[in-house]
Amino acid sequence: MSVIELKDVSKSYGQGDAKVNALKNINFEAQKGEVVLIEGPSGAGKSTFLTIAGALQKPTSGEVFIGKKDVTNYSPKQADALRLDKIGFVLQAYNLVPYLTVREQFILVDKVKKTGNLSKEALDRLLDELGISQLVNKYPKELSGGQQQRVAIARALYADPAIILADEPTASLDSEKVEEVGKLFKTLAKQKEKAIILVTHDLRLNKYSDKIYEMLDGHLSLKKK
Amino acid sequence: MFLALKEIKYEKLRYGLITLMIFLIAYLIFMLSSLSVGLASENTQAVNSWQTQAVVLNDNSNVSLSQSLLTKEDLKDFKKTKNDSYVGIVPIVMKEKKHQTISAQFIGLNKDEYIYKDLEVVSGRKAKHNDEIAVDQILWNRGYRLGDKVTLNGSDQKYKIVGFLKNAKINIAPIAYGTMATWKKLRPMAPNVEASGIISKKNLDFKAKNVRSYDKQTFVNKLPGYTAQNSTFELMIGFLFVISLIVIAVFLYILTIQKMPNYAVLRAQGIPSKTLIGATLSQSLILVIIGTVLAYLLMLLTVSVMPATVPIDFAPWIMISTIAGMILMGAIGGLIPIRSILKVDPSKAV
Ligand SMILES: Nc1ncnc2c1ncn2[C@@H]1O[C@H](COP(=O)(O)OP(=O)(O)OP(=O)(O)O)[C@@H](O)[C@H]1O
Ligand SMILES: [Mg+2]
Repeated sequence: MSVIELKDVSKSYGQGDAKVNALKNINFEAQKGEVVLIEGPSGAGKSTFLTIAGALQKPTSGEVFIGKKDVTNYSPKQADALRLDKIGFVLQAYNLVPYLTVREQFILVDKVKKTGNLSKEALDRLLDELGISQLVNKYPKELSGGQQQRVAIARALYADPAIILADEPTASLDSEKVEEVGKLFKTLAKQKEKAIILVTHDLRLNKYSDKIYEMLDGHLSLKKK
Repeated sequence: MFLALKEIKYEKLRYGLITLMIFLIAYLIFMLSSLSVGLASENTQAVNSWQTQAVVLNDNSNVSLSQSLLTKEDLKDFKKTKNDSYVGIVPIVMKEKKHQTISAQFIGLNKDEYIYKDLEVVSGRKAKHNDEIAVDQILWNRGYRLGDKVTLNGSDQKYKIVGFLKNAKINIAPIAYGTMATWKKLRPMAPNVEASGIISKKNLDFKAKNVRSYDKQTFVNKLPGYTAQNSTFELMIGFLFVISLIVIAVFLYILTIQKMPNYAVLRAQGIPSKTLIGATLSQSLILVIIGTVLAYLLMLLTVSVMPATVPIDFAPWIMISTIAGMILMGAIGGLIPIRSILKVDPSKAV
């Protein structure tokens, strides 16, 4: 069953001569339990795709369905609630709150979403698997890029969302960590029936994926099934 | 609250500096207003201590006690009650070899009238005889002591200080209280003069040839320099207040604007704008409340260590309105960017 679907979505920025068509008539679908990769060169439109799939912005045309609901015209408030509840973001950069410690990043989620978050044991296990359990009292700027990235992954998973959208989640990880994160995503998809959509240049993730799309100059095409 | 406190804790220096600024501004306003209230009260201290409600003066005195004289003839229709007190006033220069020469006001009273009865003695007693005076306690700070003999206005007659009194200042000058007979001697004039004016602690409405009553406010506003002084201070404090409130609002606005990139990240995570607005608002309020409360405490301390010669006085309503005004401005400063917070584009976080 598809939990996220984009139908004929286009997105353009700017107007007139400055107009950029970042996405061109894209069709996309991800099922429960799938790890989907989106690959493509810089500037192809991958981040733009994620913002639209995650209801951070609206497409210029086309429709976005999340869990069978048409969310294309959600108000900002509805979109906030949708993200909080259904979508976990791992952003390309700068995605932790600088003045909260690792532990407090999770407490913040508890403050705004009272139910349905991971149990304490599950969180501890997750932090262990990601190798960051000894970092809980540190501020983001005290962490390396790779550690920040893993905290961001844990944070996205903490609210137990149905869909995870990640932009270059392995960019600053060494090979060993990439394997671990790849396995973690794969296990989550299979065991907890999540749809995991990863934008990446990282070919090392290919073997953990179920589907690979390629984004080229705003066009999206299925490369591997 | 959670976000607000965590951020303050993390950015101690930045928030500390802003609190310091709010603190200093609040302290400045408290200080200036207390000084101005102090000064104003030294103008009217005696008038207030007499519980003045109305004053009977000569028509041609331009509502000035010192310019007024009332004769028996003027007062033949005036029915004096126990709420009325005759007062004779005259400026004096008080001299004593060992001490500083003092410019003061002599006020003559009748011993059977209420002002005399109500005088508040700090040490010694009230003046009973014609060669005695009781003076404002400020003269004690200037070195005068009980039993000192002084001359008034350069005459040879010596007067003995028999008491120090509380709240005995008018127009910022200390008062020497004595008898009506002494007043008549110090202010040579036509016979039949009874007093400079009549002070009443009840409202009264009296009008006769050459004489009429005035209410307290009219009388006080006509004290020399009083109105000019007060309006100068009011303008000064008013401007200071408005400008500082704007400065505070602007600072808090800049503070909030600097947080927008973080807010984009939080919005992308699905944190509702309501939470972010709450954080901004409570942060502004925390800073302003800490700043003004500290300023208030320092103000209390300042007043307690200020030498008695500096006129300084609390006016609760000024303190309260300053604090309220600052909190309000803090809230406004934090809320001006509310539109920007609502419009934060979460896609900017990507
Ligand atoms: N807010 C924006 N305003 C105008 N143009 C934009 C905006 N965001 C993206 N673009 C343009 O849209 C195109 C796609 O950008 P996007 O960020 O989606 O690429 P990307 O595939 O994520 O690249 P990278 O791998 O470098 O992150 C680019 O030409 C970019 O300049
Ligand atoms: Mg990108």
